[in-house]
Amino acid sequence: MSVKNNPTLAEQIEQLDALAAWFEQDDFDIEEAIKKFEEASEVAESVKAKLLNLENKITMLKERFDDQL
Amino acid sequence: METTPISVSDAIALINQTLDYAYPSIVVEGEVSSFKINQSKYVFFDLKDASGTLPCFMMAVQLRTPLEDGMTIRVVAQPRLTNWGKFSLTVRDIKPIGEGSLKRSFELLLGKLQKEGLFDESRKRLLPRMPEHIAVISSTQSAGYADFMKILNQRWGGLEVTVAHVTVQGIDAPKQIVRALEYLNQMPDIPEVIAIIRGGGSLDDLSAFNDEPLVRAIASSRAPVITGVGHEIDTSLADLVADVRAATPSNAAMLVVPDRHDMIRYTDQRVKSVVVSMQTRVQQLKIRVLGTYEQHLQTIDRRFAELSRHVQLRTAFVAQLDPKLALQRGYSLLYDTSGEVITTAHVGDQVTIETKTTTLTAGVTHVSKK
Repeated sequence: MSVKNNPTLAEQIEQLDALAAWFEQDDFDIEEAIKKFEEASEVAESVKAKLLNLENKITMLKERFDDQL
Repeated sequence: METTPISVSDAIALINQTLDYAYPSIVVEGEVSSFKINQSKYVFFDLKDASGTLPCFMMAVQLRTPLEDGMTIRVVAQPRLTNWGKFSLTVRDIKPIGEGSLKRSFELLLGKLQKEGLFDESRKRLLPRMPEHIAVISSTQSAGYADFMKILNQRWGGLEVTVAHVTVQGIDAPKQIVRALEYLNQMPDIPEVIAIIRGGGSLDDLSAFNDEPLVRAIASSRAPVITGVGHEIDTSLADLVADVRAATPSNAAMLVVPDRHDMIRYTDQRVKSVVVSMQTRVQQLKIRVLGTYEQHLQTIDRRFAELSRHVQLRTAFVAQLDPKLALQRGYSLLYDTSGEVITTAHVGDQVTIETKTTTLTAGVTHVSKK
């Protein structure tokens, strides 16, 4: 799976879902599984850190909507 | 002294100039009568009370609320004298007044838009599960906006929130909300959800959300729209046309973003499920590897047993060949003087004879061929 440098929360959660789904498939390679497991743990930690620390970025539009058209 | 005469047109223009100066805008309340729309473009009606009547005119596109005779309305208008010498109010805005008129206006518009299918369930779009960019249209000074933002920030992080400040009550509110909707839908990065937020209010306060152009703007928004307008008991046409209707501003925030603590639990569960899968798979692999190992061991055991049996047979066979065994059965062995076993001798040779119990020395006296 390709991973962006700065994946968004939604992308990381999708990545975690995909990794969990990998473990459900029939083909199973232990070496690959260890890699995927480590990847899943890292992604989960990053998601949790983001969820706890990220704040919303609020932008107030400067446009005034009370002008007559 | 007589003043200089002016033309009729100039007189009309002069009167209108005076009216513009004296009454740039007047707000009049009254009951609608003789309501009609000509050529689908021009709206005519009279505004009356117990003792007076004022003719009114407006363009049909400016009519944001359905009208019918008997409704009480408030108009924002400009008095004008027409070129035909008829005095009328040129109406810019209309607002139904009183519960009866508001309800009637609501019902008329509801029926009209329902026929067009604007409220059909099939038009509703789902909100994204985890949006990254949302927009809020609200009055940033309102309690509803504060509630929405409070819950939004409590629940989720990393979200880009574009806020369009508008007035959410009064005659100007629907126009401002429509403009904000149009602006947001034309942004290069269109928000994934647009939330229209305002707190509770009276039926009159909330009438801004029963405005026809606003309902149409929500219906044609490229981004899905969620409304969090008023309290649960109030339903506006904006609520009915929106993709999702939230009961309150706080409820809207809950529907727009997931809860970060729920998501942390979800993430933990995901990792746990991976751990369980991993353990199960490793266990299965162990059983398979051990099974193969066991099979190999059994094969080795079997081969070893076969080999042992073979060696035993060989040993027994070789044992049978031992010449000493012949002595046991009563045969004798013949050696020459150097101790070599012989099969023939010459007359005069000295030989040693070994039997089961004795060793004899003898001389050969006769040799004959068999």
